[in-house]
Amino acid sequence: MTYRPTFRKQGDGSRCQWTNCGPASYAMAADRHRRGVDPRTSHGWKPTPPEIRNYVTPHSCGATNLNQLDVATTHMYLVNMDVRYGIPWSSFQSLIISGRGAVVQILYRVIAPTRLDGSPGFTGNHAIYVNERRASDGAYLVYDPLADGRRPGIPKGPQWWPASLLKAAAYAMPGTASGTVNASFTRDTD
Amino acid sequence: MPDKPYADPKAPKLTAPIVEHKKHAEEVLADEKHKTKPEDLPDFDEANP
Repeated sequence: MTYRPTFRKQGDGSRCQWTNCGPASYAMAADRHRRGVDPRTSHGWKPTPPEIRNYVTPHSCGATNLNQLDVATTHMYLVNMDVRYGIPWSSFQSLIISGRGAVVQILYRVIAPTRLDGSPGFTGNHAIYVNERRASDGAYLVYDPLADGRRPGIPKGPQWWPASLLKAAAYAMPGTASGTVNASFTRDTD
Repeated sequence: MPDKPYADPKAPKLTAPIVEHKKHAEEVLADEKHKTKPEDLPDFDEANP
């Protein structure tokens, strides 16, 4: 069975919490990459969004991206993920089926009108962690750091997203090559 | 949303044996063309509480 990491919400009261979608998604991906095994570095285990944030931008709350987060988790947890751009959807599916998790760049405007909206009114660029695909209906188990159930109507924890919704949200990320996905993949843990 | 999403002709069918997906995944990750960050790709935004 595919390893499922601990869910991390970005709205945890820490510094920069509402810009921590990237650190939160990478915290979950690092957990998956190591299948929960502590690398015994000088950093805490399991990974948390504020620890990663403090490494990336210790004195500001600037926006993050896949490359700088990968540098952080490589240093902190010995988790060197594969950051890739312009991956065709069919290949993205294959990478997930092959046994990898992924931090995926999406545009939240696509999610906003749905029951999966974790931040009413937010329509910007966002990071989520995708853990696995369900063969029976093709849905993806998505760990959205905004899905913390903090208010009625906001989902809580990992949710199964229809493939069509995930694909549309990933395609809509600004700066993304037409019909492709930008993502950072864990190692094959299966 | 693109009108015609690009599909990788080398990608195995969803129902293909797992070994085929693992082989394809290695090929995709090794492809140099996917390793360069697009210049106009923005960072992540601030969400609403």
